[in-house]
Amino acid sequence: MVATSLPAAAAVAVFGTLYGAAARGVLGVPLTLASSLLVYSGALQFALVALLGAGATVLPLLLTAGVLNLRHLVLGAALRSRFESRPLGRALLAFFLVDETFGFAIAAGNAVEPRVVGKATERTLLVAGLTLYVAWIVGTVVGVLGGGLAVVEGPAGAIFPVLFIGLASLAARGRSHVARALAAAILTALVALLLPDLRMLAPVAAGVLVALPGRDALPARGR
Amino acid sequence: MSPLLLVAIALITYASRAVAVVLLPRPDPRFEIVLSRVPAALFASLATATLVGDGGTLAAGPVWGAAAGALAVSPGRSLLLCLLGGAVGYALGAWLG
Repeated sequence: MVATSLPAAAAVAVFGTLYGAAARGVLGVPLTLASSLLVYSGALQFALVALLGAGATVLPLLLTAGVLNLRHLVLGAALRSRFESRPLGRALLAFFLVDETFGFAIAAGNAVEPRVVGKATERTLLVAGLTLYVAWIVGTVVGVLGGGLAVVEGPAGAIFPVLFIGLASLAARGRSHVARALAAAILTALVALLLPDLRMLAPVAAGVLVALPGRDALPARGR
Repeated sequence: MSPLLLVAIALITYASRAVAVVLLPRPDPRFEIVLSRVPAALFASLATATLVGDGGTLAAGPVWGAAAGALAVSPGRSLLLCLLGGAVGYALGAWLG
């Protein structure tokens, strides 16, 4: 499982380095490191640095955190049926719930017999979560220390679309899921084009909207 | 940003992760079917959001090449394969651009 998540960990480390370098001048070294340790959310942390750089006050920062974190509710709900642990165990696992670990956990659950879906999902979320968390912290430290990544800044922009396409392919089961994924992609592009103010909400809204219609077979689930 | 604000943002983030996982009961089977359709669609949306910016601003050519390369090999259902396809697509995009 660690090996499976290593490509994603490498991508996360690169972005952690870019984050550390960008945030150091805005937040200072201690808060930059603390933000990666406590928040562990690349999209949100980059957005906060951009807002702070533009002079944002407390309320816009909190609202941005709320909006960007909305997708966690959807991710958590989609994983809930696969978990077997008691509430305390689930509360610990929840810290590691990010886009990439969610994709790995879903794929791991899809790949095993129904009776072990829960264990496979939880183990994957924990192992991939720890791997990516360490990568994010190490990347942030390297960036804060002034690690130079000018060479990879261009290719780094390509990492996330590629990673998300890979995770979509791992999560898709059957033509219905593929068709819905294409519909969600088109919907997101249309929102970016026609309603740019709603762009931050578009991925979650599109992902949920295309999931609603139709009837499929019941997915595999844990005990 | 004050340390207190950072802690508040960290708590909001953690709560958003934990609330569904910890507090929700196991969903009803019909709702579970709907939820099972979300992951692939959500990742496709996130990929699109990284390619198309505000007002239809497009990512650079090599980034589109990388996305096309990853998409071409996505039926293989392997993250490593997608990363390799993306690398080849990025190199081709940079070469053509």
